[in-house]
Amino acid sequence: MKNKRFNLFLIAIVTLVACWSLWPTWRDYSLSKQLESFASPQDSLKYALTHREEIENARKKSLKLGLDLKGGMHLVMEVDQIDLFEQKAWNKDGKFSAIMQSVRLKASQSDARVIDILSAEFKGENIPLSRYFYDIRNSDQEIVVKLEKESEDALNRAKEIIRNRIDQYGVAEPVITTQGSRKIIIELPGVSDENRVRNLLKGTAKLEFRLLREPEEMVRTLDRINSYLVQNNQNSAAVQGSPAAETSAAATAPLPNGAKPVAPVGMQPSAKPLYDVIGVFQNGTAYTAEASKDYVVTLLRRSDIQALLPQDSELLLAAKPDIGKNGEKLYSIYLVRKAPELTGGVITEAKATFGSQGVQPEVLMSMNSEGTSKWARITGANIGKRIAIVLDGAVYSAPVVQSKIPSGSSVINGIGSLEEAKDLEIVLKAGALPAPVRIIEERTVGPSLGADYIRAGMLSLSWSFCAVSVFMLVYFKKAGIAADIALVLNILIVLSVLAGFNASLSLPGIAGIVLTIGMAVDANVLIYERIREELAEGKSVITAVTQGYDRAFSSILDSHVTTLSAAFLLYTYGIGPIQGFAVTLMIGTSASLFTAIVVTREIFHLLLTKNLMSDKSFG
Amino acid sequence: MRIFQKTNFNFIRYRKIAYGFSIILLVAGMVSLVVKGLNYGIDFRGGSEVVIRFEKNADVGQIRSVLDAAGVSGTLKQYGMDRSFLLSTVFQGDTGQLKALVSNALNDRIKGNRHEIVRIDAVGPSIASDLKWSAVKALLASLFAILLYVGFRFEIKFATAGVVAIFHDILTVLGLFSILGGLFTFMPLEMDQSIIAAFLTIAGYSITDTVVVYDRIRERIRGQKPSEYERIFNESMNQTLSRTIITSGTVLLSVFVLFIFAGPAIRGFAFAVFTGILIGTYSSIFVAAPLVYDWLRLTNSSVRLRGSKVS
Repeated sequence: MKNKRFNLFLIAIVTLVACWSLWPTWRDYSLSKQLESFASPQDSLKYALTHREEIENARKKSLKLGLDLKGGMHLVMEVDQIDLFEQKAWNKDGKFSAIMQSVRLKASQSDARVIDILSAEFKGENIPLSRYFYDIRNSDQEIVVKLEKESEDALNRAKEIIRNRIDQYGVAEPVITTQGSRKIIIELPGVSDENRVRNLLKGTAKLEFRLLREPEEMVRTLDRINSYLVQNNQNSAAVQGSPAAETSAAATAPLPNGAKPVAPVGMQPSAKPLYDVIGVFQNGTAYTAEASKDYVVTLLRRSDIQALLPQDSELLLAAKPDIGKNGEKLYSIYLVRKAPELTGGVITEAKATFGSQGVQPEVLMSMNSEGTSKWARITGANIGKRIAIVLDGAVYSAPVVQSKIPSGSSVINGIGSLEEAKDLEIVLKAGALPAPVRIIEERTVGPSLGADYIRAGMLSLSWSFCAVSVFMLVYFKKAGIAADIALVLNILIVLSVLAGFNASLSLPGIAGIVLTIGMAVDANVLIYERIREELAEGKSVITAVTQGYDRAFSSILDSHVTTLSAAFLLYTYGIGPIQGFAVTLMIGTSASLFTAIVVTREIFHLLLTKNLMSDKSFG
Repeated sequence: MRIFQKTNFNFIRYRKIAYGFSIILLVAGMVSLVVKGLNYGIDFRGGSEVVIRFEKNADVGQIRSVLDAAGVSGTLKQYGMDRSFLLSTVFQGDTGQLKALVSNALNDRIKGNRHEIVRIDAVGPSIASDLKWSAVKALLASLFAILLYVGFRFEIKFATAGVVAIFHDILTVLGLFSILGGLFTFMPLEMDQSIIAAFLTIAGYSITDTVVVYDRIRERIRGQKPSEYERIFNESMNQTLSRTIITSGTVLLSVFVLFIFAGPAIRGFAFAVFTGILIGTYSSIFVAAPLVYDWLRLTNSSVRLRGSKVS
């Protein structure tokens, strides 16, 4: 019986491989138990040090727990493709901005790909894409392909940069993958400071050095905006409430000396709507109070206000507030040139330290040779002027250039804490993201809940195993033993495949195993019932067993294939936790084909040849 | 041990009663779906959810008023186990702010009963609609795959009736979710991704059950006259009845264990699978096979079955 030998051999191999694959998990578990069992922390540390390699090895190869069981953070981030496309466009005009505006609106409301919306929108306006993108000779089709490639690259680059940031921050076993054309999925087990991680991931880290406009220019610009607002208010006072009214709280906040006095605020349109929310020093520096900051930001973003700014200029706010005389928080406003003198691409090294007085945290940066020579030229040409250091559109500081800087060093100050400086160091080293990203899904599980889930999962596993295996014993007697052995092997196989392929076990995964326990015996039930029928027809045990297996096979195959295909599709279309469920269900179902048909049959063969089976053995 | 000795139920004769029962179930579910709708979880609705666990017993009303006073808008409910509450709000990109707001308010106003925020989920509206679509796609694709496979292994009439039975099972469970949704605090029965997983599990299980009955019919129907079909269908179903009941029993047992032990995150899933398997077992006997019988009878055709067999 060559075939039979082969089957026995196969069973032995599968069992051995399963045990081998689960061995590190067992070691890991017993080692951590051992570590906990020591009386004093010193002993435990000593043991850990002497057995370090073994512990690390076991941990590395053991069955991983999913985020929900271990606690941690699951994030889905989306790369802003529209912003990316806007960056790629050239000779942008009002028409372009209007079209992009409507693309943005449509993209937020539909699931269609951004690139399709974009090309449809341009087609609707009868404007060839080549007017703004790439070469004038390119057809729309070519440009769409190029932009697609561009966004794919951007996604991959963003993924790498985010991975860099996370690696620098230090998270054990992060999993970072991309999904579709604009999503990045980030799994961070055991993260405790979610806020910090979120801030670390969110920023684009676009660093720019930009020249400040002359103070007189600033004053003139603000005056222009103010008088425009006055005019506008008179026109529309009847229609809409004065913006000053909304921000009256801010405007009544006392402004420091040297600033222009604040106009009394009433429900009437103010004569100086802008200066109600913005204060200006004699020297041309302007600021806004914290309470009115949001209003000022939206005001400055309005396209009619933007049109009043000098050519190639932009108004930016400070990243951090200065503390005013009475403890109020004041954000400085800067008028800077739109085109940066130098960008963060030249930064090679960043280091968080304390500044010269030893209290203010700051980040020292050094540049590559190209950046160094440019920086020397820029600083040399602008002595006495101010250069703003802008990160993600917010001004950190705007020092006056004292002298030419030949060394390629620069510094960011105006940072709140050393921790923040460290995070800045990380994002500057990792480089800027090609386009802004935002968090569109976040799931955080605390470690205590994870522990609860593990307990709940283990309880369910053991109870369902007990219930089903006892039932099989009671119902099928001796044959039930074979089914129970098959069931144990089945669970072993599922766990070992998970461990072997470095997949992690999540709560839905455990649910999948529990369900598998219930379903895996199905094949055995089918076979045994069939054998009972054959026995009832008066056949001998050997014939009944053989025919039972043969005749039940077709049903078993059909039912397994259908379950497998449902699980496979669930895996294909499912996201995150559901995939874990689908994976265990798939492994469990395939394993039960093997265990129920091959393993139990071999057991019966063995028992039959030893004459340990009778027609009573099937209950 | 045997639960069923030799049974001899005349399933085919009573099929009309079963049809009626199924139609009532389905119509009730549909009416509830239209009138009451479904309770969507944040997976499909988008939004933020915070699970807060207290050290000691706490009063929902008190916590609700504290959170209201702190300016946290949203609904607060008891969540699964004791001492835990679920706060659901609209989607907020920065869950850190939400967490800080909730935490500070509770620390300030509820002294002597420490709390812990054990879970925060935030799902943006765009991803919610993505999830919804992929769920629908997964369901449709699997139904189509099952239709193809069963059609290939048996015959198109068998396959169609099998898929109809799956629809019957899933729609009934969906109806139950709508009818019972929000009635019990220990299981809110919200539609989320795990329920889609449950539906696919039900689909897989239901067709498994049906295929076993079909398989027996196929084995016995070969070369028989159409006048014998009623007897053959009945006998086949009786012969497989014991297996059908027992495997359903073991799966139900497992799922029941899940329902009891696995906690509130899995409870909706366990409920869906439990009812789905009950109904799937019923439908493979009372819906799928009788439909094939009726179809064969009405078209007056004899079956030409594919598939191998039998020694």
